Amino acid sequence: MNKHILIVDDEASVRDLLERFLTGAGFRVTAVATAAEAIRSVREDPPQLIISDLQLEDSDGLEMIAKLKATLPATPVMLLTGVLFDSRVVQEVLSGKVSSYIEKTSSLARILEEAKRLTQT
Amino acid sequence: MKAPAPSTDVMRDRTVRRILAFFAVISAVLVAIAVVSVRNIQRSAASSDWVNHTHAVILEVNDVLSAVRVGDAAVLTYVVTGDPQSRVAGREAFSDVDEHLAAAKALTRNEPAQHEEVARLDTLAAKRIEFSGELLAARQSGQPDAVRVLLASDAGEEALADLQRTAENLTNEEMNLLADRDRTSFLQAQMTRWTVWSGVVVNLILLGGVVWLISDDIAARRRAAAVLQEANDVLEARVRERTASLTAANQQLVIENLERSWLGQSQEHQIRYNQLIIDSISDLVFVLTKALNISRINPAVVHLTGFESQDLIHQPLSRVARLLAEPRAAAPLVNPIARALVEGRDLRDQPAEVEDRNGKATPARLSVYPLRDRDKVVGGVVILRTGGPNL
Repeated sequence: MNKHILIVDDEASVRDLLERFLTGAGFRVTAVATAAEAIRSVREDPPQLIISDLQLEDSDGLEMIAKLKATLPATPVMLLTGVLFDSRVVQEVLSGKVSSYIEKTSSLARILEEAKRLTQT
Repeated sequence: MKAPAPSTDVMRDRTVRRILAFFAVISAVLVAIAVVSVRNIQRSAASSDWVNHTHAVILEVNDVLSAVRVGDAAVLTYVVTGDPQSRVAGREAFSDVDEHLAAAKALTRNEPAQHEEVARLDTLAAKRIEFSGELLAARQSGQPDAVRVLLASDAGEEALADLQRTAENLTNEEMNLLADRDRTSFLQAQMTRWTVWSGVVVNLILLGGVVWLISDDIAARRRAAAVLQEANDVLEARVRERTASLTAANQQLVIENLERSWLGQSQEHQIRYNQLIIDSISDLVFVLTKALNISRINPAVVHLTGFESQDLIHQPLSRVARLLAEPRAAAPLVNPIARALVEGRDLRDQPAEVEDRNGKATPARLSVYPLRDRDKVVGGVVILRTGGPNL
């Protein structure tokens, strides 16, 4: 059975591109725009990986991730954001909250590689 | 290199022609056998007629001889006993002799030698009948002397023996003919058997040839079908390979298109994001060319100076801002800022003032940062802070 990925991003073009690409790579993808939709989706259909933007329309991505982690503590989270952090911030601030941090300027191949790594059991 | 397989139509035509030729020959042999057999049957029938005819001749001759003997014995009995029944019997017997002779003559009319023998038999029988007639006449007229004279002069047994020899000669000749015809009939039967069996053997050989031809044709068709199947398999494999290649290329193209779209949207997002950050800064931000002309400003410049972007783009920075350390009338910012850009170093927190479109000056602190493209300085970023300490 295909691995399930939940994408949370307020930009429709980002959701659409990621969904098409990851579906083509063999994943089952659910894409939502808000933190509320993400929390509902996680309860109804738990994913094997969450890919989330940092800045959402109705919430802070990191806060939403903390809520999702309460429901699915073992599920890896990939933070995909256009906010560029330096490596020290990533190491000291983000590493404890997310499994992986990828800039939106990274290629889809890099995102896929990371998604495969994180969904390996 | 493998020879091309003959086409099925050509093979079928050639095979059909051969099979038809074989069956034509088989039919010809059957017709020949039938003709020869019918002719031999006709000959056998003729031989059979001849056998019957020969037996009939022999029978008639023997009947002539028997009738002469019976008649002769009956006449002698009558002469001795005077029994009228014997006389009648004698006459009837001699009458039968005539009938049998007539039949024998009729049967041998187309055979001169036999016919001549029958005529001789007729002569001998006639003499014997004539003698018996004379004897009967003498006995009936009551002339015992004449009877005795006739009996004394009778050749008797010799005449009958002569008659017997003649009959036997004729019978022997007929038997010889019969033997010849039997031999001929046997040879004809042998010929018929040989013809029939030869025909059967030839036809079996021809049928075997037909079977071989059909088998060979079937084998050729199977080979042709196998070659065709092999060619189809190769073609299908190539089509599969090509399809897989095209599918892979298409998938790669889709991925590349997605990557391009992703790159485009991420760059657009990043530019928009950065623009938002710059636009939200309350300090005045000028982007300068190396010649110190303004190439870009943020909304704070428009807000403070009252100039629109189109009023300032490609204008010297000195139109709206200057360092206070320089005399106001003499394009004061050129040298320190230009020098900083040439030297590729920052110039920070210098006293300056900003002049709006109405000529009103506002104190500010000015900083300059060289704008680099890789390792080259291509311009600079000037930031004017109009609030805060040191003003």
